[in-house]
Amino acid sequence: MPESALPARTRKRITPYQIAQVVIGLGFLAFVAWRLYEVLVVERTYGPDTWLKFAISGLIIGSVYALITIGYTLVYAILRMINFAHSEVFMVGAFAGFFVFEALKSLPVGTGEHAFIEVYPIPSIILGFVAGIATSMVTGVALERIAYRPLRGAPRLVPLISAVGASIFLQNAAQLMFGPQRRTFVNLPALDRNLGWTLTVGEKPVLITYTGVFTFILAIVLLISLYLIVQRTRLGRAMRAVSENKQTAALMGIDVDGVISRTFAISGVLAGAAGVMWGIHYGQIHAYVGFIPGIKAFTAAVLGGIGNIPGAMLGSMTLGLIESLGPGGLGMDFQLKDVIAFSILVLVLIFRPSGILGEVLSEEKL
Amino acid sequence: MIASDVRQGLRSGMLLAIVVVFLFLIGATTTIADIFANALKQDRGVSLQAVLGLLALWAGSQAAKVSLDEKRPSWPRTLLRAGVAGLSSGLVIGLTLLLTLRLHEQGINLRTYLYQLSPASLDLWSLGRSPIAAALFHVLLPLVGCLVGAVLARGFRDAPWRGPASRRMSAVREAITRPLANAARTRWGRILLYAALGTLLLLLPLRLNNYWNFTLGTVGIYVLMGLGLNVVVGLAGLLDLGYVVFFAVGSYTIGLLTAPTPHNLMWDFWIVLPIAVLLAAIIGVLLGVPVLRLRGDYLAIVTLGFGEIIRVLLKAEALASFSNGPRGIPSIAQPTLVGLPFGSDRDFMYMIILSVMLVIFLTNRLQNSRVGRAWIAIREDETVARAMGINTLTSKLLAFGIGAAFAGLGGVLFASRSQFTGPDDFNLMVSINVLAVVIVGGMGSIPGVIAGAFVLKGLPEVLRELDAYRILSFGALLVAMMVLRPEGLIPSTRRRLEMQEARAAESPPATPVAPVGRGGAA
Repeated sequence: MPESALPARTRKRITPYQIAQVVIGLGFLAFVAWRLYEVLVVERTYGPDTWLKFAISGLIIGSVYALITIGYTLVYAILRMINFAHSEVFMVGAFAGFFVFEALKSLPVGTGEHAFIEVYPIPSIILGFVAGIATSMVTGVALERIAYRPLRGAPRLVPLISAVGASIFLQNAAQLMFGPQRRTFVNLPALDRNLGWTLTVGEKPVLITYTGVFTFILAIVLLISLYLIVQRTRLGRAMRAVSENKQTAALMGIDVDGVISRTFAISGVLAGAAGVMWGIHYGQIHAYVGFIPGIKAFTAAVLGGIGNIPGAMLGSMTLGLIESLGPGGLGMDFQLKDVIAFSILVLVLIFRPSGILGEVLSEEKL
Repeated sequence: MIASDVRQGLRSGMLLAIVVVFLFLIGATTTIADIFANALKQDRGVSLQAVLGLLALWAGSQAAKVSLDEKRPSWPRTLLRAGVAGLSSGLVIGLTLLLTLRLHEQGINLRTYLYQLSPASLDLWSLGRSPIAAALFHVLLPLVGCLVGAVLARGFRDAPWRGPASRRMSAVREAITRPLANAARTRWGRILLYAALGTLLLLLPLRLNNYWNFTLGTVGIYVLMGLGLNVVVGLAGLLDLGYVVFFAVGSYTIGLLTAPTPHNLMWDFWIVLPIAVLLAAIIGVLLGVPVLRLRGDYLAIVTLGFGEIIRVLLKAEALASFSNGPRGIPSIAQPTLVGLPFGSDRDFMYMIILSVMLVIFLTNRLQNSRVGRAWIAIREDETVARAMGINTLTSKLLAFGIGAAFAGLGGVLFASRSQFTGPDDFNLMVSINVLAVVIVGGMGSIPGVIAGAFVLKGLPEVLRELDAYRILSFGALLVAMMVLRPEGLIPSTRRRLEMQEARAAESPPATPVAPVGRGGAA
């Protein structure tokens, strides 16, 4: 509508909500500035080596988040629904990798003096990833088939509740099957968790672990291949078409259910890889291991603009950096890093619900 | 023809196999067998086989079911399907068992990896025989079970008790509610009904011992919270997964204001009660402001996060001087009535009954008010609601605040009754429990929520053996309810119609519908 056609009185009023927005925003900025000043200028708690350590761990966790985030974003783009159980798809993958590594560790080779995992370190890693990826993929597809597909076209609340239920179910099933204790991942001979390159920053050593670098590079490779799949292949084109409009896509001869299934499979693949990486790098898994990364990844998805693939990657890296640098930078307890990451989500929702890269979504998409 | 029969058989067979292997891995079959064994005074092994047999019967009847494009299958085809189902599932189950039993025989402790496979439970499955024999037995059992199940299912297909589950449910409902509804139509009938109900509620706590008063009190608190969440989820259609926040606000308000540690304020219970409820409502509105402009999905995950954050904050040592950190708050005050202590489980039962009645009254009035209709309109279609002149933000905030107030009340009662509150009382599972109460009972339906609380919080008290599987089954129940009966056990009329409408819109009957047993599809 042209501007002049509007009567003068409908000029934008300032709502209480906008006032609240400004107050919250300024308050937040003031708080951050004050804390940063305290920590960086007054107290000088950390040297450059510590900051570098924080940044590195932020990039690593960010790359793991990115793999999970993509799962949320892909499914959201196509079904306009948050796949709550995605964090459990991740957890299942981690467990599958764990079991394969355990089996390979106790599998004797040749004369029986060495285990498979020692003799063939690289194939072992590949096997672990294949198992994790396959399990997560099957879980993701089964999840869609059982818990979401029968609910196409139902009110939006319905699939959401179903997803929450599926998530609770998978968590508890894993806990019942595998026990409540934490499991320690095998420390792979080829990728020892405690070894790495050492950098010297300001005469202090900074360890960059092999697992960290491995995780980061593998994640980047997977993300790039995903991007190529979505942008360059037939399947990717079908996925984009379905996310635009299901009915029209179906009229164009696209098997919508098949595409949705494959989308879940792809997100399962990425989540499974992330799960095994998590195990290799951080070393500990349990039935609820997916919960916090799941929420974080969702936060990252919103931060970058949900439904937007480059946004998901950007959001994940940003979130990883914020949550590893944040507690140090604000001089807070490290227990509170989840609180920081979460405040980011709330702030993004207040100020820019479409995220960093997200287009201004229509009401229906929001 | 044969291919489709084999496919249907395989489908039922795989379903059975997955169910049995899953139950085996989570150790549920042995627990169920224990319950059977206790109830029927039978040997545990026999009970286990009975349970497996029943499952196989069910799979057999599934295999014999008519699929859409055919008439009733002939006997040989029924048997073929059942045979395929039984054999395929038997092979999977048998092989799994053979593998685990062999590993067990070789002295590998399976429990290190699969927690529930204790030697005792494996012995139960192996029937005290060699792995091969046990595996063979477990191949044969599903086969026989499926065949018998299919024969029974086909033989009794037109039996009068078989009909759509919903019709049977509503018939039962009708039989209970019709006389009551008729009685309630006249004025005296209504007074009589209320009087009877009132006397019952007044006398009931007196007749119960402390254990039952406590248990039913817990159910009552869940009714309270369920009704609160019902306003948010059921009426306004906002999925709140952090409902525990408001419960925590209520509990900690009374804890911090009345307990000797950490602040030693020692206020009176009756003063704190309204403060806590009000505070919960205010926090509800404050939390609602940033997220309620957005649609449901964001709200769900943000509230989920809030629920976790509050636990982290309450637990944080950094804030221990304010909230006592992980140690929680002990010796919270209990109410007094005219100078006398009023804090036994029975007294709390009365308070809970009173609160529940108050909340029922309030939600009932709200539901039929202008605000209530606005909520329902928002739930149906927010854009249209806004176009109709409803201030959606205010309405949603109101729903959030009211729901929060009820949870705050529940929190006060809960903390004061157990005289203790701590961060671990407020995990995600509380929110999920309350959500399950609302969903299973029926979103937007007051009797539904009450029934849901009794089923989900009362039943587990009776079936203590199944306690380990409670949350698991809640998860499964949420999915199953959404897929099979999204309107809940006792739906509100409007909700039922909505769901049916959504279903009809979703699946237009493009394929010719197979003739239904009797009376047509109406």
